[in-house]
Amino acid sequence: MRSFRSEDKLSRNQEMLSTDLDQETVLMNIEAGAYYGLEGPAQSIWEKLESPLTFSGLVDELVKEYQVTPEACAADLQGFLARMEEEGLLHVE
Amino acid sequence: MSFHGYWAYGLRIHAELECPELPALQDESAEPDVTIHLLPAADHIPELTVSRRFHVQPGLFQLRVPETALYCVEDGKRIFITPFSGASMDKVRLFLLGSTLGALLYQRGLFPLHGSAVETPWGAMVFVGAQGVGKSTLAAEFHRKGYRLLSDDVCAVESTPDGLQVLPALSHIRLCPDAYDRLGTPQNARFDVDKFLFPMGDGYCPDPLPLCAIHILGNHEGEVPEYHNLRGMDRVVYLLGNLYRRRYLQGQDTQGALMRMAGEIAEKCTIATVSRRRDPESIHKLVEFLELEWAERFVATPLKEMV
Repeated sequence: MRSFRSEDKLSRNQEMLSTDLDQETVLMNIEAGAYYGLEGPAQSIWEKLESPLTFSGLVDELVKEYQVTPEACAADLQGFLARMEEEGLLHVE
Repeated sequence: MSFHGYWAYGLRIHAELECPELPALQDESAEPDVTIHLLPAADHIPELTVSRRFHVQPGLFQLRVPETALYCVEDGKRIFITPFSGASMDKVRLFLLGSTLGALLYQRGLFPLHGSAVETPWGAMVFVGAQGVGKSTLAAEFHRKGYRLLSDDVCAVESTPDGLQVLPALSHIRLCPDAYDRLGTPQNARFDVDKFLFPMGDGYCPDPLPLCAIHILGNHEGEVPEYHNLRGMDRVVYLLGNLYRRRYLQGQDTQGALMRMAGEIAEKCTIATVSRRRDPESIHKLVEFLELEWAERFVATPLKEMV
């Protein structure tokens, strides 16, 4: 299982095409012909990763916005970011 | 240099070859938006790449059609055609008016949908769907009933300060032979490469119209047609899935803008699936069905007064 460390530098894949639709952000991976719909926290994470952030920096940003402890937030992020990376939506340095 | 003047997709076009399928330009003195150049025929034209017939990069598109021609489109403004020696000019024109103008639309940031468009009191109604699903047949039926068509095969959507507009293009309908037979073999039709081609005449709408709805045409088993509004991101997926020559999108410098436009179209207009039983005899019933659905769903807006 992929595990992110707090100093990992995260950024979104700028090659993705994106559009806003109602409350949703829709992404298209033009190479693969795959689509993703992001809502709520997922959408907010995508927006924050427009410029690179460390894993812990992202947690800090999210706890300001959502009623969540840093520990719970970090735990939820692990799974979500791993999926993003798997789908090619995320760069990790 | 002598040229033929045409007016399609809201663009003034000056072409060195004759394209009877394109509506004529009324005023040939104004500067053209697009020029089409016919270069001398060549015996040999090198392949573009090993795997693909076409090449896309920002501001440049190339298409090589074996035994026909090489087409280059630059900056959404200039088209150069190098025919193969001995190529059929009907075929050269076919790939110019289809794929090549399609690539020009991408370069200009116009959203090219693969489908037909009909003028109605509610605005332009667009029909897209898989090849062979009956888009042109339905368009021909609307035409037969007295509706004007903006296009039978490709329609471009433009985002303007006044909203989304559908730009009319070819003033001919291309029909497969069985649809042609069903329409009672229109007399002024001629066979062109693989389909029957006939002019829309007065049934062509030369003016851009506000986009009302996009319909994805499909088949089902039931007796009664069904109209179903799409919601959520499906709308964007279907819009992009019905782009004309959608493989031309990747690599264009307009790709991001066109993706955002898909969101704008999805938000501002209706995107619906229309399914009906595949039965050539019932095409007129489908038109009546759609007329009733539209009257219930949309508010008719008075068409702009003719100047």
